[in-house]
Amino acid sequence: MIPAVEISHLVKDFRIGMRGVKLRAVDDLSLTVGEGEIFGFLGPNGSGKSTTLKIVLGLFKPTAGTCRIFGRECRMAIARSDVGFLPEAPYFYGYLSGRELLRFYARVAGVAKSDLEAAVERALATTGMTAAADRRVRTYSKGMLQRIGVAQAIVHNPRLVVLDEPTAGIDPVGSAAIGDCILKMKEEGKTVIVCSHLLGQIENICDRVAIMNRGKLLVAGTLDEILTQPGKMQVSVGGIEHFSDADKAALEDFLRSRGATLDGLSRPRISLERYFIDRFSKQ
Amino acid sequence: MSIYWIARNTFLEAVRQRFFNFLLILGLLMTALSLALSGFDFGGNELKFVADFGFGGLFLFGSILAVVMTVQLFFAEIDNRTAITLLAKPVSRFEFVVGKFAGIALLLAVFVALMALLLGIVLALRQPVLAAIAEQRGSLAPYFSLSGLALFAVLQWIRLLIVAAMTFFFTSFAQTYLYAVVVSFCGLLIAQLQYVLQDVAAGDKTGTFAKIAAGTIAQCVPNLQLFNLGPQLTLDAAGVPAGTVLAAAGYGCVWAGILIFLAFAFFRSREM
Repeated sequence: MIPAVEISHLVKDFRIGMRGVKLRAVDDLSLTVGEGEIFGFLGPNGSGKSTTLKIVLGLFKPTAGTCRIFGRECRMAIARSDVGFLPEAPYFYGYLSGRELLRFYARVAGVAKSDLEAAVERALATTGMTAAADRRVRTYSKGMLQRIGVAQAIVHNPRLVVLDEPTAGIDPVGSAAIGDCILKMKEEGKTVIVCSHLLGQIENICDRVAIMNRGKLLVAGTLDEILTQPGKMQVSVGGIEHFSDADKAALEDFLRSRGATLDGLSRPRISLERYFIDRFSKQ
Repeated sequence: MSIYWIARNTFLEAVRQRFFNFLLILGLLMTALSLALSGFDFGGNELKFVADFGFGGLFLFGSILAVVMTVQLFFAEIDNRTAITLLAKPVSRFEFVVGKFAGIALLLAVFVALMALLLGIVLALRQPVLAAIAEQRGSLAPYFSLSGLALFAVLQWIRLLIVAAMTFFFTSFAQTYLYAVVVSFCGLLIAQLQYVLQDVAAGDKTGTFAKIAAGTIAQCVPNLQLFNLGPQLTLDAAGVPAGTVLAAAGYGCVWAGILIFLAFAFFRSREM
């Protein structure tokens, strides 16, 4: 099967200042994103994530190496016919309504006139923007801008969707809504590349991740491959109201008899983010 | 097809901006104002005064529109990063540049058409009145050609296309909005005074270095004075030979094409 994205020995240098000092933003990066997976692209600021994405999208020219989208050289405009992109901190034409904006991007992306309205309505429904579709984009909140940004990325029904910091600066409820959109895209068989600093969200939705630092790939793999701690086991037990010191000692004795140790004992709790989402998404 | 949608969106963005409407109203008011000035009795020259007033307004406001709106619609797209979203779609940079230029060309066409229409109405209303006065005085009746005005409007549109294409060229590598606007206006000024450079290059009293410098610059900028055929086309019964009009139109189209191609060449390698 042809991979959604295939990056091979990618190098990107920038020339900085009057003297043209070389800054290597991406250093010999090789990476493959399979079709149908949600791929998390992680790393600190300046690690080369956004530069890599821009090369994938043909916005930057690589210094060396190759990049292919569904087997096509990424610099070719036709390679992007199957790609949707949400840039970081997106800005859209404020004088258009959300619906007009989607119509424009759909037509530019080659959606036929006969399919236009259905495509626009589907994208609006997927992102929960139907109610605000006729408002001018300049009146949208930050969360709504992100969601209409996701809508324009998927309006032409691309096979690959690239989201650069899709939840940056928006509240946990809006962030969860975008997370749901991403999962919906996966159900539809789309490949999604998500670049984000919100590691909790990435952890919940991604099949595989790649972590970059200073332009180099540190690690790539499934979350289990990267995060599982060998030799450790976590057990969650239900039906216990009181857990006395004697109970704890008995548990330690049992574990000792199996050659193991008790590393910690606590009552499980939900995350603050989960609490926030549960509390406010119902209102 | 992308070119059509980009052009359409560019035009829509322009007409929804206050700046375009403001300039258009100002230009129309200026032309209409020339009617009010007819009370000063310019005699046989009144029609020429009104026409010159209209031609001046057309070029002045048209040039401001061509420079400012081009920077606004092209550079702002790069600066606000809306171009990133657009170029991440299956849109080539050539389609982007041509689509943007086509949208601005349409905007300038609407502007020129409305200005010329009002000027035509004003001149058509005054010409019979002035002709009657001239007959009473026994002097020559002023001449006015509506088709000549239409031809002049087309030439002015081509002239403004050159200005817009030149602005595209400077904006394609500009890093700031201010730089793009200032350099484009400087380019417009040099193109407007290109004939002076030609005179310097051909002059006997000029030094060799100045001659070479003036001649080189004159070759690198279009001559916008070639389009100053308004009075001959509109108010002169002899008119202008078709060859002259066609040559000016061809000259303008070639220059606009060259400048847009150069803008594309710079924009193609621009990283956003």
